[in-house]
Amino acid sequence: MKEVFQMLNDPRFHLLYGVTQRFSTGPEPQLARLNREGFKLVEGVTRKTLVHPRMRLAVHPSPLRGDAFSPIFGRISEINERSIFVEAVEPTEEQRQAAENVEKNRVDLLTLPERGAELGMILKGLGLNTRSLGQHCKTLIINALNPDPGVTWAEPMLLTHLDTLKAGLEVLRRLSPAERILLAVPREMRLHHHDMEVVHVPSQYPASVNALVVKAVTGRENPDGVGIVGLHNVWSLGRVARTGLPLIETVLTIGSLEHSGNYIVKEGSTIGELLHFANIELKNGDTLVRGGPLRGESLDRLDRSVTKGSTGVFVVEAGTIPPMQGHSPCINCGACVLICPARLSPGLLSRNAEFALHERNRAEHIECCLECGLCGYVCIARRPVLQYIRLSKYKLAQADAAAKLEELRSASAESAAASGNASAAQQGGA
Amino acid sequence: MSAAATSVLLAMSAPPYWHCGRTIRQVSLYMLAGLMPAAVMAVCNWGLPAARVMALCVVTAVLVEALCQKVMGRELSVDDFTAVNAGLLLSFLLPAAAPWWLVMLGACIAVTLGKMAFGGLGTNPVNTPLVGWAVLFVSFPLLMDPNAMQLATDYADPLIRLRYFGVAAAEAIPFTDLLLGRQIGGLGAGQAGALFLGGSLLAAFGIIRWQIALGFFLGVAGPAALCHMLDPALNASPFFHLCTGSVLLGGFFLATEPANAPSRPLPMFIYGLLGGALTIAIRKYGVYVDGTPFAVLLVNLLTPLLDLIRPKPFGARSS
Ligand code: SF4
Ligand code: SF4
Repeated sequence: MKEVFQMLNDPRFHLLYGVTQRFSTGPEPQLARLNREGFKLVEGVTRKTLVHPRMRLAVHPSPLRGDAFSPIFGRISEINERSIFVEAVEPTEEQRQAAENVEKNRVDLLTLPERGAELGMILKGLGLNTRSLGQHCKTLIINALNPDPGVTWAEPMLLTHLDTLKAGLEVLRRLSPAERILLAVPREMRLHHHDMEVVHVPSQYPASVNALVVKAVTGRENPDGVGIVGLHNVWSLGRVARTGLPLIETVLTIGSLEHSGNYIVKEGSTIGELLHFANIELKNGDTLVRGGPLRGESLDRLDRSVTKGSTGVFVVEAGTIPPMQGHSPCINCGACVLICPARLSPGLLSRNAEFALHERNRAEHIECCLECGLCGYVCIARRPVLQYIRLSKYKLAQADAAAKLEELRSASAESAAASGNASAAQQGGA
Repeated sequence: MSAAATSVLLAMSAPPYWHCGRTIRQVSLYMLAGLMPAAVMAVCNWGLPAARVMALCVVTAVLVEALCQKVMGRELSVDDFTAVNAGLLLSFLLPAAAPWWLVMLGACIAVTLGKMAFGGLGTNPVNTPLVGWAVLFVSFPLLMDPNAMQLATDYADPLIRLRYFGVAAAEAIPFTDLLLGRQIGGLGAGQAGALFLGGSLLAAFGIIRWQIALGFFLGVAGPAALCHMLDPALNASPFFHLCTGSVLLGGFFLATEPANAPSRPLPMFIYGLLGGALTIAIRKYGVYVDGTPFAVLLVNLLTPLLDLIRPKPFGARSS
């Protein structure tokens, strides 16, 4: 209904694109930029260190975050708080040798006896983020829809990279305690597998938003005991299971208005190199987006890189959409209200945020926002509606944290006064 | 590669990076396009005086808005065509023979009191053109009465006939005359066929909310049909009611101004129904022959209440 009468008459919102080609291999990066926020460098890794592909560079203290590996033969050119930069070099004999050793040490995941969290630790050591792999649920849904409009890798992944997915699924079965694992695919895709439970769900964006896929599969909103993982993650698991090597690649769609293609690229590839490789030229005033066109983030520089979670890189050409202007008050047109899949009033939420009335947004159930971005897509005043909502959520979370701290403080002060053991209590409170 | 990287200036913005392409200006232009058939028919039926009133009204509305924005120290935004829209809608409610000062006064009041006083577009609690209309109507009833102003015409005023000469006299006016706008009324409001054409196209494109328009017309037609069935000698047919006065203008273009209408489908529909039913109630029991503008003003005021009808947000825990 919404599509026919309203604003979503853009065919790109139908998340099925008929793309079935196998993924192309992306460029060999000349410069790789790896995220190291929160990571601890492996001993011996410093500036100037020579590295080889799949060499472990840094480890994250969280058991759910995969280790960081070098994607290429190179030399570390810079390390700062946020990133590790690796410059490509012609490998020395020593580097080649080391790389070969890595190749020899393949882990055969599917013969390992470990399951659950122990398996999780092994996967972490292979560079996989296991945080969102459904480790606490009874039912696990695999979201096999293209996450954002414009992202097209889900279909070819399902149709032509099935072996990788099956291997991934096998690992997932061992990793997750879920009794049932369901594969949610677009309704129009007549996909049946004897060893996989397939559910057909609607495929018009925002149908691919996790919460809405869960709703489509279970019929309930935010039910307990149901987890959801992206197809992308299953592919990564499968890739590791099949190669037995640490993961240093990711699949993404690189697209502009005219071109679009799916690539397996090295993690840490810079956006500039990827666009160059895909023959997409940038002009002044274009917007560069990492992630999907509806939910991604815009970047100001070409030397930013893609990570395992990136779903795509998009160029939105100047002039293809009306520009966002600085001051654009909400004119109450109600378009966002009609489109919001969470049944909220995004206009009102954004106005409250604009005037720093964040507390009012609690009563408006701002926490129910699914961050699908549609409110901004239809806003005729070109307001950054989702941005306002995120701001408000952030401010509210801050306020909550402050309140909690205050509570702890006063509680500890009380107990300190009662017991006289001031110093210990204070430490507990801080 | 890196040389190219530094030479390009990228635009930063907030998600989403795609957009439906509709802007305030574009929507206003669509609205104007939807009003065009009626404007053309108005000139056909009333001649140049109608064009004069429309032009004067639009120009005044735009100038007054620009002036207000200047005085308020705002960025000029008359290029979004919303003032043109409001001006044109107001002129549609005026008689073609209205004196120039009346037209200008109306446009002036509509824009200042009906829009800018509350802070500009989208903040007004009631429909902008109707504010101008209401002030004029109350202050200068004689000049606002098309029947008294439009002496040199062969057309009849169907609603006056209905009230004072009975159903038979009213329904003696051929249906095609009503559709083609050959009736006395507001210069654009009476162009029933043209308004229906423009309005339904806009509704189909999603520019105006079909729920409101549909509700409004059902609200008019339902009670009218009921009365007509009970006593056809006293009550005109629902079609007569739909095509006379400013019902079509009200249902398609006035009640649907989104800022003062509810924004969810069910409340929109109820709002429309109430507006339509009120119109019939005023026509039947009130002192005014055409109840539409007042009915719309009244339901505008109900909008905050109707907006309370809302579904539970996604996955919200019931508290
Ligand atoms: S992003 Fe906007 S449209 Fe989407 S759920 Fe949140 S408020 Fe609703
Ligand atoms: S779409 Fe934009 S202008 Fe319209 S109500 Fe929502 S936020 Fe306001």
